[in-house]
Amino acid sequence: MFKRNYFYKGLLLFSAAGLLAACGNEGDIPGTDGGNGNGDDGNGNGASGEDISLTIMQGKVEFNSQFNDLAQMYMDENPNISIDITSVGGGTDYFTQLTTRFSAGDEPDIFSVAGPNEFEQMAEYLSDLSDTEAAAAALEGTLDDVTEDDGTVTALPYNLEGYGFIYNKDVFEAAGIDAEEISTYEDLEEAVQTIDGNLDELDIQAVFAFPGAEAWVPGNHLSNVFLAHEFDESVNEAYAADTVTFERGDEFQRMLDLQVDYSIEPVLSLDYSQQVEEYFSLGQVAIIQQGNWVYPTLEQMDPDFAENSVGMIPIPLEGHENHLPVGIPNYWGVNSNSDDATVQAAKDFLDWMYLSDEGKDFVINEFNFIPSYEGYEDMDIADPLSQIVYDYSERGETIGWVFNGYPTGWTNNEFGPNIQAYIGGEMSWDEMIDNSISAWESLQ
Amino acid sequence: MKNKELSFWLFITPVILSLSLVVILPVFMGFFYSFTDWNGLGFNNFIGLTHYRRLLEDSQFRQSLWFTFRFAFVSVIVLNVMGLSLAVLVTSKLKSRNLLRTVFFMPNLIGGLILGFIWQFIFIRVFAALGNFTGIDGLMGWLSTPTTGFWGLVILMVWQQAGYIMIIYIAYLQGIPKELIESANIDGATPFQKFRFIIFPLIAPGFTVSMFLTLSSSFKIYDQNLSLTGGGPFNSTQMVAMNIVDTAFSSNQMAYGQSKAVVFFFIVALFSLTQVYYNKKREVDL
Repeated sequence: MFKRNYFYKGLLLFSAAGLLAACGNEGDIPGTDGGNGNGDDGNGNGASGEDISLTIMQGKVEFNSQFNDLAQMYMDENPNISIDITSVGGGTDYFTQLTTRFSAGDEPDIFSVAGPNEFEQMAEYLSDLSDTEAAAAALEGTLDDVTEDDGTVTALPYNLEGYGFIYNKDVFEAAGIDAEEISTYEDLEEAVQTIDGNLDELDIQAVFAFPGAEAWVPGNHLSNVFLAHEFDESVNEAYAADTVTFERGDEFQRMLDLQVDYSIEPVLSLDYSQQVEEYFSLGQVAIIQQGNWVYPTLEQMDPDFAENSVGMIPIPLEGHENHLPVGIPNYWGVNSNSDDATVQAAKDFLDWMYLSDEGKDFVINEFNFIPSYEGYEDMDIADPLSQIVYDYSERGETIGWVFNGYPTGWTNNEFGPNIQAYIGGEMSWDEMIDNSISAWESLQ
Repeated sequence: MKNKELSFWLFITPVILSLSLVVILPVFMGFFYSFTDWNGLGFNNFIGLTHYRRLLEDSQFRQSLWFTFRFAFVSVIVLNVMGLSLAVLVTSKLKSRNLLRTVFFMPNLIGGLILGFIWQFIFIRVFAALGNFTGIDGLMGWLSTPTTGFWGLVILMVWQQAGYIMIIYIAYLQGIPKELIESANIDGATPFQKFRFIIFPLIAPGFTVSMFLTLSSSFKIYDQNLSLTGGGPFNSTQMVAMNIVDTAFSSNQMAYGQSKAVVFFFIVALFSLTQVYYNKKREVDL
């Protein structure tokens, strides 16, 4: 009898814990109180002493806590401003929640937007930001995608990001390969074969860890290298394109095959976290196709390795050797439905974040952003991968990101699964291409 | 009399109100939107049956529907067999039966999303490690092929839900009058005969309930699907619920996704109601 009670109590405790956890989660869901802020300042004329509350909703959860710290700093300096931040994670979820809030009338004052499709849908809510200092200081080219024909700037870039082949310097050194010398596919293939021939001596499991489970790695990033020039490296052109031709499909295929053939098996269930955390950061593979965003993870796993043993080279492309794909993943938009004083306060906050000394320090050292604004020339960029991306973009040796202009859902539901079917031997390459082209056409 | 009617309505109104507000009204709104070009924010045109015509040609939807059927068929059988076996086990005179009941029920307390990730780890890492150790090839590469993805989902589903179904069967097993069993014993019935001719017919209402629950939950499974396989490889393990969510939220075709949901609603309703109708007929009254 006693025993039974004991277990039922345990069970009760267990479920109570579950309940509590569920309640805790609720706090993260955008509350209804955020929207009230708009009403408070509606009656003022926007005098500087006016109390203004800014609600921010953004889709990059990785820097949520640092962003909140920065906002706190701003609130301490400007007691009349209060900032309420909601960060919602990863890609599609964010935009759904954003549109939900808009249709519920609970509109944030500042929100993040990514890609032409989101811009098109939010077009009527975007204020003109041409008069901000940040717009004037934005690096050349970074506003191209958000400038309308009449010169109106509708959004401001978050930061720059870039990707390529991230390699383990120690392995390359031991194998006697100079990664900086690799600029063509043939160079790469030769290096891969050299490493593959000495896996035991180099004490690694395979050359690559290719995450076949992640549709975006081959579907967005790898394909971008071979599709970008079809669309003149312009995301808007890709977005407007009725079809895609895969002019350089053969090169795409051999680059994919190379990574798959020399990867850890089974490729199709290998995911991002295995690729980065398990295989690369623990020195099990020589090369992964990823971007500067993996740095914090690498640093967490092994700071010494991250600091000294990690390099990045571009994905070789004939005619555009040594060009790194660099792009802007997210933009800030300011809600044009907010009243004038709030819009002004939002602009001031963004200017302060990217251009004041405190803000710049935060952007570089806390956010670990690669700045997309002028005025950071003398500052040290925090990590070696970001430094590489910044160097390439400063030299202008970049390939534009067009994958945000692919038809909505194309990568996740059509192209990505097709590539997986090709890897799994369920589809031939030509079927894969034909299928993906017709999917593009039907989605456009 | 009048008073009674008033209190009747007083008690029932909040339920009816909230039910119609959060269930019935949205269902009808959903039907309505599936005939429009709704994009989540607003709609401009009525387009009639366009979405439904398009559905007929949507091979991915057909494939996920077929996958869901197969999954539901297998998991309903396995779940009920497992649930009943566990229930028989823990109502027998085992010393550890109370402990076992708790243990078997436990997985049901863990959320589907987390369970999916736990089992993903087991299938991919633990299975691979065991395979390396024992040299059994069948343990390698789980979740990287459609077949292993399918069985992975079935195993996960059974592991999570069997305990819950067990509880339902326990309730019915304990409701069987002792004297019936006793008289069967006196008549010299074997354990199998007792189970087949006495216990089995008497727990028929339990079948109705459990079949209904397992059928509808197997059809509507989403979070386990999302976290275990994510529909991969190449969308081969994508179930209907996931197909609908992807259409609506990742391809941003809200109205089209809604029309899929309407079709799915009718299919699930048809299956569940037919099943309840037939099982009801089999039930016996004492």
